[in-house]
Amino acid sequence: MPILDRPLIVATTLIYFLACLGLGVWALRRTRSAHDFWVARQGLGVVVTGLATMAAAFSGFVFLGGPGLTYRIGLSSLFINLSIGFTPTLLAWTLAKRLRLLAEVREVYTIPDAVLARYDSRSASGAAAVAILVGTIGYLGAQLLAMGTLIEAVLGLRESLGGASLAAAVGIGLAVLLFYSVAGGMMAGIYTDVFQGVLMMLAAVAVFLYAMAAGGGWGSVVHSIAESPRFGRQFLEPLGQTPALTALGFFFVFGIGVLGQPHMLNKFYMIRDPRRLKWLPLVLGSSQTLCLLIWLGIGLAVPALVAQGKLAPLARPDDAAPAFLLGFAPEPLAGFAVAAILAAIMSTADSFMNLGAAVFVRDLPRAFGRRIGNELRWGRIATIGVTLAAAVLALTYNDLIALLGTFAFGTFGAALAPALAVGLNWKRVTATAATASIVTGTVLNLALEFLARQTFFPGLPKPPLSPGALPTAVSLAASFTVLLAVTAWTGRREPDLPNDVLAVMEA
Amino acid sequence: MAHRLALALLALAAPATLLSFCLGGAAWTWIAALAGGAIFPAALIALGASRGGRLGALAEVLLLLGILLAAGLFAVLAWPQGGPDVFGLPAATALMIFILVPLPLLGLGWLYAARFDRHGVRDEDLDRMRRLRQSRSGEA
Repeated sequence: MPILDRPLIVATTLIYFLACLGLGVWALRRTRSAHDFWVARQGLGVVVTGLATMAAAFSGFVFLGGPGLTYRIGLSSLFINLSIGFTPTLLAWTLAKRLRLLAEVREVYTIPDAVLARYDSRSASGAAAVAILVGTIGYLGAQLLAMGTLIEAVLGLRESLGGASLAAAVGIGLAVLLFYSVAGGMMAGIYTDVFQGVLMMLAAVAVFLYAMAAGGGWGSVVHSIAESPRFGRQFLEPLGQTPALTALGFFFVFGIGVLGQPHMLNKFYMIRDPRRLKWLPLVLGSSQTLCLLIWLGIGLAVPALVAQGKLAPLARPDDAAPAFLLGFAPEPLAGFAVAAILAAIMSTADSFMNLGAAVFVRDLPRAFGRRIGNELRWGRIATIGVTLAAAVLALTYNDLIALLGTFAFGTFGAALAPALAVGLNWKRVTATAATASIVTGTVLNLALEFLARQTFFPGLPKPPLSPGALPTAVSLAASFTVLLAVTAWTGRREPDLPNDVLAVMEA
Repeated sequence: MAHRLALALLALAAPATLLSFCLGGAAWTWIAALAGGAIFPAALIALGASRGGRLGALAEVLLLLGILLAAGLFAVLAWPQGGPDVFGLPAATALMIFILVPLPLLGLGWLYAARFDRHGVRDEDLDRMRRLRQSRSGEA
């Protein structure tokens, strides 16, 4: 049944858009300076920071891609989430404290700002800015395409607009996103993220419970899958059909690469009182775990329903979530879940709009030794420019942008995690080592991932990796190795760090 | 001491992880699990949590975390068919869902809060930051 025929889903989507616009108006009145625009006035509590970090981190992939991946490869997809047990504490102990204290002594609003303060190197901060720009184009473009596809389906635009429907749907979503992000900057981004994060958690829990009920309860769900000739017990096994090296690569990339995600890390600058970081791991970890219930719930319920003969086998695994929500969930729950999926997509997109604008208004100018006056005005203009550029690129080269989006997480991790996580906790790391690590992570990951996945140029070789190895895992490990090796080579004695940076690293 | 040990472990784990993902094969898969899956998280947390190079009682907890992650990943690799059933799931899958996620999540999260006054942000840290900021703005 087309979604348009279900008015509650359309109504829920429109109410969600109105709520985002309302928050944009509220934030507009409170955004008066660059400090407000980039870091929400550094006035957030720990719950707001934790929820905003979770909402920015979890894109539409958790709600749509995750259940689809589970349908395709079984429960080995959970290796992507397995590290969620320790990543909140890893983030808090390794980076949140250092970044927040750095913002206490310096005017630090972005991740390249922190790199510049730590290494006093414009080449290191410039390399970080370029890595963030490349990842942002991919991440933002992919989110805009996902948002357009969902709005196109909800409003039934394909029937009325034909070939122009995707562009029109992206335009509708962009109008809402641009309104609140340009008007309210990070102030709007944060509070819409909190609203969106709460929506995502509630929808994930409700869908999980309903999914289990639809499959006849936990026991019936896992029994149906295990007994089914189509799926079998192998579907439930931790490795199933996935090579061990791939599963371990997922665990390594998502467990350690999280230390280089700028859309999560820059939220740590915004907490009002650094002592509130005390509760960050529990808030962040529990909200992430609740959201992941949708991955597990639909990921198990759909194959169980197929095994029980209540649902036809899916032609495309990515249809798992839509097939369950439209075919089995009651209309109010489906509407709620559609709004939550839009929320997941838009909360990630607004973070990247802000990060992309900051690259042009703060990070790259500073890397060239310049500063831009009236950052608030130019920040708003750059947000529009970056977002429209990403939208045009996404609509023109949608395959290429979707491809970039799939490995943007890995690009951020490989480029930034070693220079930040080791560099902010070990004084001997030199600017040369940080720059070498950032450049290695960025270039190696782009090259390996592109060669591994591209279908545009049939003559290009595949990367020489062992079967099952993830290119991103190789790039991340290589980036750490380069940082440590170059530090051993160039950092025979501790560099003379400024007193304030030293104090941050010793705290 | 703890800081140096964490750095030494990272210096061993990084190239070992790189080689294991590049070379593949059964032996390297086990090394990837140990180096990339267990040593990296524990060593990085130790690096961030140590003060004056020391971890105190946290050292034992981080050792336990490393052992838990290593044992969990080894169980998954050692039971390719997942072992006996627990709650209808193969034991290795149940271990992933019911132990490897909630135990560190709640245990480490609680520990972080409980040790925050020692290994997190102290009042004297904030006073020092404020003084440094004032002296820096005074110089400017």
